[in-house]
Amino acid sequence: MSGKPHSNKARTTLLSVLLVYALTVAVNLGEFWPFSIYPMFSQAGNDWSRSLVREVPPGDTLSWDAYPLDELPGLPYGVRSGGVDPIDLANFVSKTEVWDEDRIDALSLMLLAEPPREPLRLMVYRVRARLTEEDSVAIMATPYVLVGTDLEVSLDHLNPELRP
Amino acid sequence: MTTLEKKQPFFGNLWENLFGFDRPDSRGQRIFRRVFEAFIGAGSIWLAWYWGEYTLRISDIVLELGFARYIDISFMHGNQLPIWNAWAITALVILGFLRIDRWVPFGRWAYMIATLLLMLQYAARFVLGEIPHSSNLVGMGLMGFALAELVFRDRTAGGRFAIGFSYFFIGLGYTSAAISKLVARGLTWPDGRHLWMWVNEKAVDEIARSGTVELNFVQQLAVDHWWIATAFLAFGLLTEAFAWLVWFRKPRYIVMWGVMALHMGIWVTMDILFALSVYEILLLGLPWAAFIDRFFPESTGRL
Repeated sequence: MSGKPHSNKARTTLLSVLLVYALTVAVNLGEFWPFSIYPMFSQAGNDWSRSLVREVPPGDTLSWDAYPLDELPGLPYGVRSGGVDPIDLANFVSKTEVWDEDRIDALSLMLLAEPPREPLRLMVYRVRARLTEEDSVAIMATPYVLVGTDLEVSLDHLNPELRP
Repeated sequence: MTTLEKKQPFFGNLWENLFGFDRPDSRGQRIFRRVFEAFIGAGSIWLAWYWGEYTLRISDIVLELGFARYIDISFMHGNQLPIWNAWAITALVILGFLRIDRWVPFGRWAYMIATLLLMLQYAARFVLGEIPHSSNLVGMGLMGFALAELVFRDRTAGGRFAIGFSYFFIGLGYTSAAISKLVARGLTWPDGRHLWMWVNEKAVDEIARSGTVELNFVQQLAVDHWWIATAFLAFGLLTEAFAWLVWFRKPRYIVMWGVMALHMGIWVTMDILFALSVYEILLLGLPWAAFIDRFFPESTGRL
């Protein structure tokens, strides 16, 4: 049997999907899963922002100063132990514009839904990096918010510069 | 027929290269079509559960994607709907694979409904700002089989369409990625200092994930030598820019292995493994059907 009718159907179907694909990504900022313009890594060399978490031992005094990565206070803590995706954490922190109690509560739920031990206090840092004129990468971490299994959600545990 | 006439053109007809409806069928092709379909189905089910279970811990929306831009997706949060949705996707994919249209009216819609429910699952899961791309190829693969079921009565033609559909959107996707980079940064995109930024970014992600990090040998090499970092990025950009060649049978496997090398490079330098995409490239990047025909020809009887 000739494949011509199949070929015509296939061509029409594929071109129709391509049209829907193009229209959909055009009106949805390049993303409408599984359609995408695949912009990952296109913003090369731009400053970036991520997040990390440090465990705060009982009795430690809180500081809201920014630190280089190798001078962070507290103990190493991997969010994987609480079942959290670090990219979600980074996006949650960097894309939050207004830090109210609801937002802190949502962050607390994300990090402490499955705590590896209790009590547990975690300081969430926002980490920023930029390329310097000397061709090196400068990285600083700023404490944003403290959450804990034994802490009430409160704006008192938020970096004073972020309080609404 | 002369030798000259037998020689395949390098490019030739795009649709024939993608779908090959006129080519004779074989045991290898039949097995490969079902294996690829099973992979796409299993990948879709895995995504449905992976996303569904994670969605249970989401209570706030930071960024709307996909369906969430048009409907209030919060109805999927704070309850067990993501799990029920995962069950529904699982059932539909299995029923689609088992060809339920033999027993159930509208059975050919199983894959298409599963595709739409998976899009909903994605929209519910990715509201926290992350925009991942590791699942897009599997999503397109499922859509290909969904359309094949609806458009083609003949299952051989349908399977060939679904595989050609995947090759087409793999080529388009990677080429689009190269265009995005060139539009955003121009020809200076492969500057090795950009890789330094990503290596450090991923190092911070690893600290966030596990608490500590140590650069591997390749990362250290890239950070220590600007030209090595630049060579890595240039290879990646060139591979993506020519990915559309997978639409054509002759260069297809070489380009697919270029894409595989690109993913291995991303893995060792940035610690990002697009696992499902890599498995799919492994399936589509080797002539598995020809291997099966070579070692288990029809004459050897039933497998």
